[in-house]
Amino acid sequence: MDKQNGISRRDFLKTSAAAAVLVGAGPMLIGQGAHAAGSDVIRVGVIGCGGRGTGAANDCLAAGGDGIKIVALGDLFQDRLDGCLNNLTGKEELKGKVDIPKDRCFVGFDAYRKVINCGVDLVILASPPGFRPSHFKAAIEAGKHVFMEKPVAVDAPGVRTVMAAGELATQKGLGVVAGTQRRHQKSYIETINRIHDGAIGDITGGQCYWNQGGLWNHGRKPEWTDMEWQVRNWLYFTWLSGDHICEQHVHNIDVINWAIGKHPEKAVGMGGRQVRTDPAYGHIFDHFAIDFTYPGDVHVMSMCRQIDGCANNVSEHVVGSKGSSNCSNSITCDTPWKFDGDNPGAYQQEHKDLIDSIRAGSPLNEAQRIAESCLTAIMGRMSAYTGQEITWEQALNSKEDLMPTKLELGPLPVPPVAIPGRTPFV
Amino acid sequence: MRLATHLTCALAACAVIAGACAIPAAAAETAPPAAYTESIPGSVVTFDMVPVPAGEITMPDPAKKGATKKIKVGPFWMSKTEIPWDAYDIFVFRLDEPQGAPGKDATTRPSKPYGEADRGYGRKGYPVINESYLGAQAFCKWLSAKTGHTYRLPTEAEWQYACEAGQPAPTGDKLKECAVTFADKTSPCASKSPNAWGLYDMLGNVAEWCTDLKGKPVACGGSWEDKPEKVKPTARKYQTEDWQANDPQDPKSKWWLSDGQFVGFRVIRVK
Repeated sequence: MDKQNGISRRDFLKTSAAAAVLVGAGPMLIGQGAHAAGSDVIRVGVIGCGGRGTGAANDCLAAGGDGIKIVALGDLFQDRLDGCLNNLTGKEELKGKVDIPKDRCFVGFDAYRKVINCGVDLVILASPPGFRPSHFKAAIEAGKHVFMEKPVAVDAPGVRTVMAAGELATQKGLGVVAGTQRRHQKSYIETINRIHDGAIGDITGGQCYWNQGGLWNHGRKPEWTDMEWQVRNWLYFTWLSGDHICEQHVHNIDVINWAIGKHPEKAVGMGGRQVRTDPAYGHIFDHFAIDFTYPGDVHVMSMCRQIDGCANNVSEHVVGSKGSSNCSNSITCDTPWKFDGDNPGAYQQEHKDLIDSIRAGSPLNEAQRIAESCLTAIMGRMSAYTGQEITWEQALNSKEDLMPTKLELGPLPVPPVAIPGRTPFV
Repeated sequence: MRLATHLTCALAACAVIAGACAIPAAAAETAPPAAYTESIPGSVVTFDMVPVPAGEITMPDPAKKGATKKIKVGPFWMSKTEIPWDAYDIFVFRLDEPQGAPGKDATTRPSKPYGEADRGYGRKGYPVINESYLGAQAFCKWLSAKTGHTYRLPTEAEWQYACEAGQPAPTGDKLKECAVTFADKTSPCASKSPNAWGLYDMLGNVAEWCTDLKGKPVACGGSWEDKPEKVKPTARKYQTEDWQANDPQDPKSKWWLSDGQFVGFRVIRVK
């Protein structure tokens, strides 16, 4: 594993001093979080303490060197919080990097606000995606740097919230990195750079896939309310995950948007719930196929499936006037190229890139591009659910707000499965 | 299906003497094992088991540094090839059960992998990769429950003995004939020549999960990733944290190795 640490404490102080000069000299370039208070430690709060939140916390600590500390945790459920706490405090190698007293552990729907307001500089947002826009907005408004897992929204109001908060982050000089780790994978970066430099000519079309089997399911316990059951099985409810086209396939869609350098203009898609029909799996589809049209009448076929026992494929492919590429490590053209070299683990690299950028005083801000990639996936889902062609403007301005009106551990009916041709576009 | 015929005869003889009875253990031990084809009930998947005669192998003694010890092994049957996805998928995705609710049964099964556990190398006819030792072990338990035959992972002594098949370790062109080494990815099972006992891909293609002499998991034989000089009967790999470097979850999966694209397994059956 790549164990390279970030900038050393001494380098950090050096950049801090330089940053202080910049702040004094002109527009505020440094977020009020990281080191404005004179501390040389970035204090991190984790919101969403499941397997990924805990994984991201570990990645963040591994990437951040000595000057980083996890200091607060928040989750809807006590058992998830405890699991994360035990994981982080139980590791010998994390001694000195974890300082989470009981009064900085928060449980409930409002735990995120308490984490944000307990003296942290950076938050890791890893709750189910439906909660992300409100968590992200609150974090940016409070002046915190953010690492947030993908997807960052499940509906258009959420996308608009993320875009607006992303702009505010730029104004405030806050760092924002999203967990689309391919964007931080050296092999991808070098391949896409070549595509942008014209190695395959003008892009004329492409394909992207996330076809795999089904995923985990936590069987319902009698003591769980509807809300608890749904949040614990968030993959299977559109208000929480955005459906698997958004939750999972957004990775590949994001790569296509990156390679083409634009988002699509419209989508025509289809999909259904063919095999995974048990109520335990909520109301999401188990397969989608979308035709995205990018500017210049460039068509990209997107396909995703979660059905056991079928052909698997997780990949991207773009075709250009002079060649083609898998976007990840090779280019086929007159002078073929294949990535060769050290390819550090992107799950740590994405944190390192964020932390390095904050320390260097020029924080990364990926909010707009990840919001666009999520909206691309949501536009595809809207088209498949309704059976209609959906344009970017329609998708972006959709009024469909999937968040339940009441956030409480109580009754919550499962929406009907979408029926193309009958389910209306809202 | 020669084994089936043999067992039927034994059963018939037994029935004459004592009415209905189980096969006496002695009969299975004295009879030379014959190759047979195992079927996984509830599926169309079958795989071949080939006999490995009893014998002895000299291995480094884990109790005494520098010393060796002789270990008696066999006879047993060993799967002719590395276990392919065709069989493992039935286990992981419960394709042997009616479609419907998330299943519950007596044997533990792996979590479903997030993403493409075969890495796009190939599925049908390709060896399983990225599975943990625990997953390979659980497969054996499940397979035993399904078939009524007792399957398990080989010990490293059993594995090395079967790999050598009484021959010196192949090198150079001989190795090339029987082993996938230093390649871009895995090859379909049995793409190369078998060893003297009819076992394919013992060397190379995927390293194979075994239990070492101390009872710890070890992957034997080298893999498609390794240079030819590292692919040999004595090649061993012990799991390190690198094997799960790109697992984004913590705790990391018990069942899947995000970076274990070089490790698979095969099964043996003693009786």
